[in-house]
Amino acid sequence: MPVFTKKKLFAFIAACAVFLIIDLWMFSALRTSYEKSVLGDKKELVVALARSAPVEAGTVEAWLAEAKKAHPGLRLLHVQGIPGAEETKESSLDPELKAVWDQRQGEPAFKSGVEAASYLEVFLLPDTVRLGTSRSLVMFAPVPNKEGDTAVGILLAAVDESILSSFVNLTYALSAIAFLLFALGFGIATFSRDPITGYAILVLFAIVLTFVAYPLFEALRLTFVHEGRFSFAVWRDILTNKQYLGALVGSVKLGALTATLSTIMGFLFAFFVARTSLKGKKLVTALATLPVISPPFSLTLSIILLFGNNGLITKRLLGLEHFSIYGLGGLGLVQTISMFPIAFLTLAGVLEAIDSTLEDASLDLNASRWQTFTRVTLPLAAPGLLSSWLLVFTNSLADFANPLLLSGSFRVLSVESYIEVTGMNRLGNGAALSILLLLPTLTAFFVQRAWVAKKSFVVVTGKPSMRLSDLANRPTRLFLLAFVVLSSAFIVALYGTIVAGCFVKNWGIDYTFTTANIVEALQRGKAALVSTMTLAGIATPIAGFVAMIGAVLVVRKRFPGKRILEALMMTPFAVPGTLVGISYILAFNKPPLLLVGTGAILVICYVIRELPVGLEGGVATLRQIDPSIEEAASDLGADQATVFRTIILPLIRPAFISSMSYTFVRSMTAVSAIIFLISARWYHITIQIYNFSENIRFGLASVLATALIIIVLAVFGLMRVVVRKSEHLEKTVTIQ
Amino acid sequence: MEKQSVPVHLDQVTKIFRDPKTKSDVHAVRDARLEISGGELVTLLGPSGCGKTTMLRMIGGFELPTRGTIHIGGEDVTYLPPNTRATATVFQSYGLFPHLDVFENVAYGLKVRKVSKEEIGFRVMEALGLVGLSDLARRSPGRLSGGQQQRVALARSLVVRPQVLLLDEPLSNLDALLREQMRVEIRRIQKSLGITAIYVTHDRVEAMSLSDRVVVMKAGVIRQVGTPSAIYERPDSKFVAGFVGKVAFFPVEVQSTDGAITCVLAGATVRAGSMAPDVTVGSKALLMARPESLRLGNPGEGACDGTVATNVYLGSSVESFVTTEYGEILVQIDDPSESRVKPEGAKVSIAFDEARVRILPEAEE
Repeated sequence: MPVFTKKKLFAFIAACAVFLIIDLWMFSALRTSYEKSVLGDKKELVVALARSAPVEAGTVEAWLAEAKKAHPGLRLLHVQGIPGAEETKESSLDPELKAVWDQRQGEPAFKSGVEAASYLEVFLLPDTVRLGTSRSLVMFAPVPNKEGDTAVGILLAAVDESILSSFVNLTYALSAIAFLLFALGFGIATFSRDPITGYAILVLFAIVLTFVAYPLFEALRLTFVHEGRFSFAVWRDILTNKQYLGALVGSVKLGALTATLSTIMGFLFAFFVARTSLKGKKLVTALATLPVISPPFSLTLSIILLFGNNGLITKRLLGLEHFSIYGLGGLGLVQTISMFPIAFLTLAGVLEAIDSTLEDASLDLNASRWQTFTRVTLPLAAPGLLSSWLLVFTNSLADFANPLLLSGSFRVLSVESYIEVTGMNRLGNGAALSILLLLPTLTAFFVQRAWVAKKSFVVVTGKPSMRLSDLANRPTRLFLLAFVVLSSAFIVALYGTIVAGCFVKNWGIDYTFTTANIVEALQRGKAALVSTMTLAGIATPIAGFVAMIGAVLVVRKRFPGKRILEALMMTPFAVPGTLVGISYILAFNKPPLLLVGTGAILVICYVIRELPVGLEGGVATLRQIDPSIEEAASDLGADQATVFRTIILPLIRPAFISSMSYTFVRSMTAVSAIIFLISARWYHITIQIYNFSENIRFGLASVLATALIIIVLAVFGLMRVVVRKSEHLEKTVTIQ
Repeated sequence: MEKQSVPVHLDQVTKIFRDPKTKSDVHAVRDARLEISGGELVTLLGPSGCGKTTMLRMIGGFELPTRGTIHIGGEDVTYLPPNTRATATVFQSYGLFPHLDVFENVAYGLKVRKVSKEEIGFRVMEALGLVGLSDLARRSPGRLSGGQQQRVALARSLVVRPQVLLLDEPLSNLDALLREQMRVEIRRIQKSLGITAIYVTHDRVEAMSLSDRVVVMKAGVIRQVGTPSAIYERPDSKFVAGFVGKVAFFPVEVQSTDGAITCVLAGATVRAGSMAPDVTVGSKALLMARPESLRLGNPGEGACDGTVATNVYLGSSVESFVTTEYGEILVQIDDPSESRVKPEGAKVSIAFDEARVRILPEAEE
């Protein structure tokens, strides 16, 4: 809510004007000094070249060719003899420069150049010269005789002016950005009655524009550029090439398979937990949520250990020779086990929210259990089923870690785009492929918004029904129980395999017990583990604060552009990791933000990718808090920062802590975006696991995967303890 | 605590909200002009949605007026944020800090003002003493009753020594008995501190019993400002008359306004004690009568005839509902005895206490 008065407006304009003058002066000084140093370097180079030029006729052509090879940016013209004083002979490999010389050597500027050279001085033409399509700086350097006291010729050297202009453009951009930031900041301080909120909005906007909008724009832009020009070539290539289309079809196929299987499995688990009176619900719930937080590669790894080419079950127990787990089937299996928890959590929520008195009413009206299930329970759960299907589908499409290890010859988009970028160095194609990945995701998102939200029947009565009528008859119950027990056992076995893998000498060949793996893995993985934990540790509080501040702005503040800010903060949720990774290397591998190779880009990537989840959590918690609590605090004299620190943060502590632990865990287990951004200095533990697996060092990979699982479980355990401490808050927050 | 009395002036204050659904402007408050003297307790009274809370929130700094200015103690505070104003608000939902105990809640405003620790301890206990909660200083607000929470909110506002105390329907979450008790309490504390207070309510009894002056609002417009008795006995419009108490209206034509005020009701000339300012001779108007200024008599004796429909016995009085050609009219019979109360179904006539009836303009804009 800005407040404008004439006095403030005048002060603002005056301050801006002063800053602009200083800004321009500083940057022009910077530019001049840069130009001088660059030109100085070039002059020295050209003078040195001219000194090395041959004096004898006939060898000039060969020397020019050699010089061109050594300095590809320089275009040279060699003049034997001083024009006007003696006979001259020009030779050049550059017809354009030659043409310019022929045409303009009579002009005064050129004459001064010749004159300077004849006095053994180097000369720069004051104006740039058009050579072909671009303009160049032209220098005249004297070619001295052997004694070095007389000029016997002139060397004309042309350098593309872009060596200056790219830097000049950068200084202009930087000075404009500096001015803009000053104007915005000073404007907020002058006009806003709540400058702290104003700065928070400004900072968040700067963050999301720089690290969400800009990289995505760069990625999109690259797909429309071919050889420096606007073109549809990349997209034409992508959409006609069978290999790429195959990857698209593969991704959709895999997504549909995984989504269907996961939804069925999730529904059975959810039905077991929410709609039967069978025992062991807590244990089942815990087991079913385990895969959600397990690190990438761990399940794939144990599937390979069990069913791979040298797998325990396939090779050792069954003796199969030509069985291959690599491909659609194996991927579907791994993804189903890793992603059915999403379906389970969604559907358990839906089933628990359905008032069981509706089912009782149906039974009371003499419907059979089956009729009740198909006509009451299932229709009520239908929107939940669809939304869980869509959620798993988008997750499967975005999945990168599992296909990376397990796809074999089966092609999916996420891996394909990775190969395009790192294997083929075709960034445009890689970007286009991962943008393609965005389409099904967005479609699913909008279907979810438009249809599921409208069709949702679930009525939250707030009155928990105490007794559940058992909808399942005996055989059904037995089937359910068997399914749940067997699946749970399988999940436990998978994790057991990873642990077992740590202690086996050479899986598939030599099953003798050893602890050598642990020593070697921790030695070789230590650097990666330390750097991953350091960076994740740095990212965690930043992500927590950014998410909570974002939540406060979204829920409590009114300001122009709020919708845009909210949408940009939520965008990373829909963007597949591969696209994030590719867009980051595109956007941050050049000035002014040269971040690729630093640890900062990894931290930024963690923060940005986990922002939406933290934001959602903060928003949900904040919506339950009576706004008059914050109003009372500010009424009592606290400014916005104090209100945030002393009131809001303590009240949304559960959301704050869970957002932070979530960020930490997700950062530790990240793969898809990170794999593009790691460097030798800042390596990532998951990539180390991948490398060990690729080199068939499954023992080492198992050790690191186990270590990662232990860290993840420890963090979540810690979070539970800390959050439980503040549970009394949640009860009193909503008294009124 | 020392006395500090500052006036509050609202000039042409207008607040326009934009309805996000219909994309149309809604006038929450329209051209409000109000002068509140130092130490005065003024209630903003009106039906829900009349803009009274919006007006309070603008004085507190939680909303910005679209137009107009607000002065507190001579200083223009129109655009100041809440934390820099000398106001303290008691919210309808109290807005207690659930993660702090009673003492810390009350101390909050002093802490952010960087008051010394000893002084905080002293002033907080003084404020808690004022509202009678000294024993509960270490209780968490979640474990207090509604009335106690209300007192904590009041103490928390008073401890920072505001120049103006703003109360937004502070008693609406309490039961009837507690409400009456707190009403007296608030009035006592406000008077003893001599603090200027603005009190928002939709309860006319609360407004009448509490305030020095009442501001009656409807649809964002201030309809009348006056002492409780002026508002009750001499309302200027049909709306104000109806909102602040039970009332009967009779359609009349104004006959004469100089000297005695007379009007014609159903052919008969009737005298009235007073009239609203914008009533003109010869125009159609309304004669307003409170139940206690009406008497029952035999048919033909009074201004209009009717039949007793129901009698409601209230102990100190009886309310007689009489069906007449002007609708059902309530007559209050004080000191009821057998002879004064007519049985249900009896034919009666209604007569006015002429000094106490008032003529109002008919048009209700």
